[in-house]
Amino acid sequence: MHPFRLIVLALGSAALLAAGCDRGPRGPRSRLTVAIPRDVGPLSPYIGDGSVLLGLVYDKLFEPSPFVPEPGPGLAESATQVDSITWLVRLRGGVTWHDGAPFTAEDVRFTFQYYRDGPPNRYTHHVSAVPRIERIEVEGPLAVRFVCAYPCPLLARVTFADLPILPKHIWERITEPRKYAALPVGTGPYRLAEYQPDRYYKFVANGKYFLGRARAEELVMPIVPEQSATFIALRTARVDAAARDLPPELVAQFSRLPQLSIIRTSSLSIIELRPNFTRPPFDIAAFRRALSLAVNRDTLVRTVLLGQGRPGTRGYPHPDSPWSNPDLRTPFDRASAVRLLDSLGFRDRDRDGVRETAGGSPLSFVLKVNLAEPTWIRMGEMLVGQLAAVGVRLRLETLEAGVLSTQTSARDFDLFIGEAGAHGAADPDQFVMALQSGYLWRDGLPYPELDSLIAAWKRASTVDARRSAGFALQALFNERPTSIALAYPDQRWAVRPEAYDGWVESPGYGIVHKWSFLPPESRVGTGARAASASAARERDAPR
Amino acid sequence: MRRGRSVAQYAVVLWVAVTLNFALPRLAPGDPLEFVIGAELGALTPGQRERVVREVGLDRPVPEQYARYLAGITRGHLGRSIRSGRPVADVLGERLRWTALLAIPALLITTVLGTAVGAWAAWRRGRAGDLPLLTGILLLDSLPVFWIAMLLLAAFAGQLGWLPPFAALALPSSGASRGWAVATALVFPVAALVIAGFGHTFLVARAAMLTTLGEDYVRTAHAKGLRPAAVVFRHALRNALLPVYTHAALSLGALASGAVVVETVFAYPGVGRLIFDAVAARDYPVLQGAFLLVVVGVVAANWLTDVTYPLLDPRVRAATPGTSRAGAHPRGPAVAA
Repeated sequence: MHPFRLIVLALGSAALLAAGCDRGPRGPRSRLTVAIPRDVGPLSPYIGDGSVLLGLVYDKLFEPSPFVPEPGPGLAESATQVDSITWLVRLRGGVTWHDGAPFTAEDVRFTFQYYRDGPPNRYTHHVSAVPRIERIEVEGPLAVRFVCAYPCPLLARVTFADLPILPKHIWERITEPRKYAALPVGTGPYRLAEYQPDRYYKFVANGKYFLGRARAEELVMPIVPEQSATFIALRTARVDAAARDLPPELVAQFSRLPQLSIIRTSSLSIIELRPNFTRPPFDIAAFRRALSLAVNRDTLVRTVLLGQGRPGTRGYPHPDSPWSNPDLRTPFDRASAVRLLDSLGFRDRDRDGVRETAGGSPLSFVLKVNLAEPTWIRMGEMLVGQLAAVGVRLRLETLEAGVLSTQTSARDFDLFIGEAGAHGAADPDQFVMALQSGYLWRDGLPYPELDSLIAAWKRASTVDARRSAGFALQALFNERPTSIALAYPDQRWAVRPEAYDGWVESPGYGIVHKWSFLPPESRVGTGARAASASAARERDAPR
Repeated sequence: MRRGRSVAQYAVVLWVAVTLNFALPRLAPGDPLEFVIGAELGALTPGQRERVVREVGLDRPVPEQYARYLAGITRGHLGRSIRSGRPVADVLGERLRWTALLAIPALLITTVLGTAVGAWAAWRRGRAGDLPLLTGILLLDSLPVFWIAMLLLAAFAGQLGWLPPFAALALPSSGASRGWAVATALVFPVAALVIAGFGHTFLVARAAMLTTLGEDYVRTAHAKGLRPAAVVFRHALRNALLPVYTHAALSLGALASGAVVVETVFAYPGVGRLIFDAVAARDYPVLQGAFLLVVVGVVAANWLTDVTYPLLDPRVRAATPGTSRAGAHPRGPAVAA
């Protein structure tokens, strides 16, 4: 044979052999591979936004989140409200950090003080403003007393279920936490054994975890930013699950694949239309209400989300939050919108199809949308048509995410489409914070009705009173919305049940979180719900 | 004198590039604090916000930031990534290794393959198959690299399942299995870059070869009765290589930036993906470090091309004082004599 042909034949055979080898038997089931869409940093509460992965390594006093009616004990065994501003927390004994050091009340005191007085981060305003914790006192090796500046009946259900607890013996030496990139040390069910930025995370089960050993011994999470690559990897069994939403257009196709299961969860997020309440005429509450009435949310969900979500007719916050007023309604009522606009004196005087203000300015605005979000762009296109029907002209402008973010922070917009995640759309304290910080309203802008309701909210000293005060705030908010809920999207997760089928839903966190890997008995009181077939069987099994 | 002027020119180019490098991320819209704090940036009080700005070094006057930046470069300190908290020099060092693993084989394969096929096509110009080949190559050259990458993913990872569709793998700790894993991770990105770059190299090589094949010394070689393959590959190709060499050398400099699209599609952890993510997060220190790397790469490649040209081309050598070798032909390359 000619030498050249021989070489080609040999190379071809080697390639085929290599390809065949690569499709060989997979590793042991104790190792799970879950593709994640982005690098969330070194799992530090000070770098990036890694809240879900953070929960694999760190624990909170109560679990799993503020998004369930009554979080269960985590690092705390109990929390007792002594009076309207004082709480006594008893901690779990025998817990150790991943490096073997014992967990004590000093860690808890240190953590809350660090978040409150140290470099600010995403948790700071939850201890320094809503609520404001004035004193944190150690009452014994496993007891801590918290004293708030004003009544804080939700401290256990919201604040304690939100803040990850840090090890004092490590963090007390860290003065610049944003420059601290070492592997984290927590008490959680997994230890981060390896982190290669923009490549992968590797977690190893913590054998001494107080709620039992995690059922997947090793979790490998490759970072795959490209959506197509993620779902190809899932179809071809290169990964066992994907921690990213299955886009609506792929749901039908993936549902037909026998090797995959699709799990539906509530994201607790809201796709919202945000008017700039500091700019006329959006500073007129009735005008914002007219816009809300003019939006046909059913059509948006049916056409753009392909039915995979619910229309935003229950307003803001998310209707699945245990803290949301069940009576909220934000219906589509074009006739009422027209009447409201007429009553404001906004009429189409020049018969060009666009209303004008009394001063003659046309109601013509720019609607800004992130160009990386095709779903929102399509919603924007439909909103252009829906608002044109009531005489309001919108021009859609797509912008790069960073540019849009800068413009919205500087309040350089008329309207934009965004998404409030679970923390914004389901956490009752965050809602009040957002009404003061400029996100949903700004401190200092005259709004006596809101001020009075916030004052009443702050005075409420029991859970029920606080809930009622929150409901009143929400009712006022949706009457004069500064966020117009368009849709409550579902999340759909694709997994390979043959590799692992113990997935459970934790509201707002999807399925890739520690509760999916912990024994079923540890989930009691966490609000976690069986999401996959075998998890449901385990839940229902007699004990 | 001439060398001194050349060094001064390179220094000025570097200074201008470094200054632009400092200015551009700051002129771009977007707030790096949003990544540091997340979507709740707006919930910070003005005092808390100031504190974060101070922490990440954006509170100082711009001239002071510039002076610190220049001083840092001279000491090899490029700051810390806002996104990861790690020293930028370390981050770049890690990524550069991955980019070199990707870019060098891709460049070599593209250059060798493109040159060989381009030379062969020039030799067969006007014969059967020439036009379809040229049309096909022009078509290939016009394909966006993103599309090529997606096709590779769909066909070889999706349908055939031969290789994983991403390179963000946990590598075995050592040995042959580690090497195999790295090689596996390289297949798709290298293939995408080769397919995307092949057409251009082919066209450069073919055009250069066509010019060379029309030279008198080629006719002389034919007249002497040399075999066609010897004429083409020993005599004509050597002299047609200069444009290809220039193209390859300049590409080498740009390779320091990796291949942003290919690295992102295949989750390949090189400099290109680093730049992509840093732009999205407005991670100024990383952007500055990465662009500095690109600038140095491009300037170094130009310098390398300047330095090596006389070694390849006797005509340049003859025109460059101090580089002429005894016996070199003053008027042309080594002609079959």
